[in-house]
Amino acid sequence: MSVDSSKNRRRESLQQKPVDGRSLKRLIEASLAWLRTNQQIVNSLNVFPVPDGDTGTNMVLTMQAAFDEINGTPEHNFGKLAHAVAHGALMGARGNSGVILSQLWRGFARAVDNNATLDTATLVQALAAARDTAYKGVVRPVEGTILTVAKDVAAAIEKAVAEASSPENMDLIGLLDLMVEAANISVEHTPELLPVLKEAGVVDSGGKGLFYILEGMQRHVDGLPLDTALSAVVPLANMALENTLASIEPGQDYEVVVDFRPTEDLDLINFYRNLEDMGTSIQVGEGDGLYRLHIHVPTEKLYHPINYTRTLGTVTKVAIENLVDQVENAAESCGEEKITLSPIEPGQNAVIAVAPGSGIGRVFASLGVAGIVEGGQTMNPSTQEIIRAFENLPTDKIILLPNNKNIILTARAAAELTVKQVAVIPSRSVPQGLAAMMRLIPDGDFESVVTEMTGALDDVETGEVTIATRSVEIDGVQVEEGQIIALHNGKLVLAAASLEDACLGLLEKAHADHFELITLFYGGNIPKTEAFRIADVIRLRFSKQEIEVQEGCQPHYQFIISIE
Amino acid sequence: MNDETTPLGSIHVSPRAIASIAYHATLLSYGVVGLTSKNLVNGIAQVLVKDPTYGVEVIYDGQNINIELYVIIEYGTRIKSVTESIIHTVRFQVEKALGMPVSEVNVHVRGLRISNFD
Repeated sequence: MSVDSSKNRRRESLQQKPVDGRSLKRLIEASLAWLRTNQQIVNSLNVFPVPDGDTGTNMVLTMQAAFDEINGTPEHNFGKLAHAVAHGALMGARGNSGVILSQLWRGFARAVDNNATLDTATLVQALAAARDTAYKGVVRPVEGTILTVAKDVAAAIEKAVAEASSPENMDLIGLLDLMVEAANISVEHTPELLPVLKEAGVVDSGGKGLFYILEGMQRHVDGLPLDTALSAVVPLANMALENTLASIEPGQDYEVVVDFRPTEDLDLINFYRNLEDMGTSIQVGEGDGLYRLHIHVPTEKLYHPINYTRTLGTVTKVAIENLVDQVENAAESCGEEKITLSPIEPGQNAVIAVAPGSGIGRVFASLGVAGIVEGGQTMNPSTQEIIRAFENLPTDKIILLPNNKNIILTARAAAELTVKQVAVIPSRSVPQGLAAMMRLIPDGDFESVVTEMTGALDDVETGEVTIATRSVEIDGVQVEEGQIIALHNGKLVLAAASLEDACLGLLEKAHADHFELITLFYGGNIPKTEAFRIADVIRLRFSKQEIEVQEGCQPHYQFIISIE
Repeated sequence: MNDETTPLGSIHVSPRAIASIAYHATLLSYGVVGLTSKNLVNGIAQVLVKDPTYGVEVIYDGQNINIELYVIIEYGTRIKSVTESIIHTVRFQVEKALGMPVSEVNVHVRGLRISNFD
């Protein structure tokens, strides 16, 4: 009650004052602060076409530039300050949504012209002008974006003012409430207009950003804090669900994950209390009104969490996994444990490796790579995926190990797309990549480390063993479909009936007896016991060489063999 | 003519096909109000045309795909940001469709359309 009454007193006192330049300044400051508080939420909404995966950041930078332009000026004229805001937003516009935002401000400023204060009629015109200016910037406006939200806000205010009995007496704070409400409804509606949003299960990020800008102004009017995000629970992206398998207690047979949108504000204390009656390992995440509940329950209570959340709101997604079964199979399946990457100090040389399987990724991680991109035969990563692996590292010296001849081009394209200094070491296989990694000196001179690592590529022979998918004759080797084939440095050298024959033959051809160390990375398609059995066979034949076996988890290839 | 040879045969993608992907990606970018021909330096910019490759040039030298775009931008938008976003969108869409890296996307701003002066 007391909060409400102080809110009302604040509103009443603000209503008495005209909305001039000083008010605008405070409103812009508040919207910037609130947008920044919710920046990560807006960023996280950006799951689709992803040419720019940073809408929240772009909008914050744009608004920051706008605020910098008016911060500290003695000007009190609303119109003049609005022009300054538009100018600042234009100069600082970053990304698509930033450009659109700057156009909205530009249209808004033009309509308020030189008015010393803002009145209802001007607000209506200004919102319409903002919308029109923004729509003029594109030939084919895509609906379900920030443009739609701007349009809906303008329409809602136009309608409210047109229907009012005495528009000139309308209270601007009330109109701001309407704008926030209209923006919210419009944002929630964006997935209906843009199918990609619906498929990804999100609302439009730019539209959401615009909503936060308006809501920040409203929170300023109500004197609410602007620096703490509303959610009392962790953001969805921060939920650590990977390691929950390790901590299973008796009686926890199933893992249930439920996504739901509560119809009313969630009473977290009660919520947790009810969940504790059902199971353990409870985690709740929130992002943009969507809650994710994670819980381990015994078999007889399997459906309780689902039924319970259904009483609270709309359940959007349910995932159930049988933990008992998973634990039993954990030893069998390829390790899904988290890979820990080496932290990079500013200015160090950082290596990004492309790894075709989680086991190989782990080996690279143990050698000190700063980032791993998944990819390999028939699953080439995109340039964007490669760039994403290093763009946030605190260093400009990046070394890429493509580890596959088909990825070298992509890696080179990624290198051209960034301002960072990127060297692509043309490693054509995993063993080559590992050999290069051995020569990495994190604090060494970039150029000489790159030369050194490139030189290491020829220190190692690569063998690959897989099953022929069809009959063919290449390089004089006749292969029948289903036979085991072996490749030496990318060239087909033999076909054999069994894995061990293929491995032994390959090692012969590669003159493995002249080398010291043979490392076998066994794939996700071959059991561990089989891999070790074959290693023993090899050990008998190559008794002078050291034989190592590593879990590689790569698809398609039963073995990737490094001979050095 | 971007050739890829698979054991079953080869795939040819003509530069014209790539150009039309780039054309549509460009027109969807915010701030672009049209494309214009490379040689139309002086004349009045023709903003809407039917040819889906108008104002797009794709150069493939056997190794690299380079895309040149000749665009008209809305006056009042920040040209640097708009063009950066065109480059991102076009590169992303073409690479997605083609599965091959694009080495360069160059945007040439041929003119501005002025709807309103400030």
